[in-house]
Amino acid sequence: MKIRIRRFDGSKSWWQDYEVEAKERDTVLDILLKIRERQDHTLAFRHSCQMGSCGSCGMVINGKPSLACQTRVLELKTELIRVEPLYNFPVLRDLVVDLTGFVGKHRAVKPWMIRRNPEELEDASSEFVVTPQQNMSFVQFDYCIMCGLCDAACPTMALDPLFLGPQALAQAYRYVADPRDEGLDDRLEVLDDAHGVWRCHFAGSCSYVCPKGVDPAKAIQFLKKDILKRRLFRSKKESSSPATLPKVEKVPDNAPHPPPFDYKFEEVSQA
Amino acid sequence: MSSEEQEKGYKSGLIRSLNPKGFNLERYTYMLHRITGVILALYLIAHIFEIYHVGLAVLNNNPQIWYSTLAELSSLGILEQIGLWIVAGSALYHGANGLRLILNEVFGMLLGKPVLPEYPYSPTSLSRPQKAAVYIITAVVVALWIWAGLYLLAGLGVI
Repeated sequence: MKIRIRRFDGSKSWWQDYEVEAKERDTVLDILLKIRERQDHTLAFRHSCQMGSCGSCGMVINGKPSLACQTRVLELKTELIRVEPLYNFPVLRDLVVDLTGFVGKHRAVKPWMIRRNPEELEDASSEFVVTPQQNMSFVQFDYCIMCGLCDAACPTMALDPLFLGPQALAQAYRYVADPRDEGLDDRLEVLDDAHGVWRCHFAGSCSYVCPKGVDPAKAIQFLKKDILKRRLFRSKKESSSPATLPKVEKVPDNAPHPPPFDYKFEEVSQA
Repeated sequence: MSSEEQEKGYKSGLIRSLNPKGFNLERYTYMLHRITGVILALYLIAHIFEIYHVGLAVLNNNPQIWYSTLAELSSLGILEQIGLWIVAGSALYHGANGLRLILNEVFGMLLGKPVLPEYPYSPTSLSRPQKAAVYIITAVVVALWIWAGLYLLAGLGVI
């Protein structure tokens, strides 16, 4: 079979064809590794876990942003496979793209728990309880592996490089939907901006290409709804702050250590 | 690596943004929504220009301009009528699809609830309710657009 790879050496780009023998269960990543081992050691691409968990091998395969390690060549059902670097990203070399801006946008939405009283995080009097039902409201968006496929598929990213992108916005919603988080107001500065959530026009391509079922398009629409509600009604989100939970007595620092658990092993009779 | 050594924004830009090939159904609706939006914006500019003449007629108390504008509008050529038919189709599609987007974005409808992802993954935001809304909108818009075309042809005396 023939594989056509978009190459870039820092100054010029070109298409290069390789002839490779593919086995039934070979993935595109297997083919790329074969090429680099046996034909062209200058070919550059990222990969790590080879099982769809790390998100390193994101690239565009036959026009669709995909993980190379999860795309079997025979399932593509084409004689010629075209492999390109991720769309909408600056290319460093061959299939390796620059993720600096991508990670920066992720950081800009403050993807961590924000509490109005930061002392609670240092000196919590009890657990921050999340019920299984509450957990279901955001756990889907927790599955993001930051592979960048959603940003590569997004048509708005193609027009506005400053747009936060589906990855960052979905992660913002992951925390906004978390009942322990109280940071929507802190995030509004970047989310409710000209390059923020309103630039999304719901093409849904991010959800279509997501390899982990995160569904960023859904998260972004829910985020719009929450921001609109906040702007219109200025409603304060109810929190499950420890104040509403039963207090747990703090153990003083000088308290004696509790006795170790008394393990009692039952003697197993030798048959 | 310096910025000169990077190939900036690979395959970005208007063509990349509007090309739905290889993507989902909603990407096609996105493309049509953008194109019809541009058609309506251009029509609006032309319409304001037209109304501007009528405004001048009122300001100058000159009914002749008003009558001449009316005469022009009642005797449009075939290309101008086809242009209006395209504008009508654009307005129908942009309006109907806009209602679907309002349901999605303002009310969070047609998206399903957050779920635990299970392989093979199928995003609920692009599942049956969303697809049904797209198909219904497309069917209604096409039917009304055909009706508008027939109305146009009847006005021209073709049928």
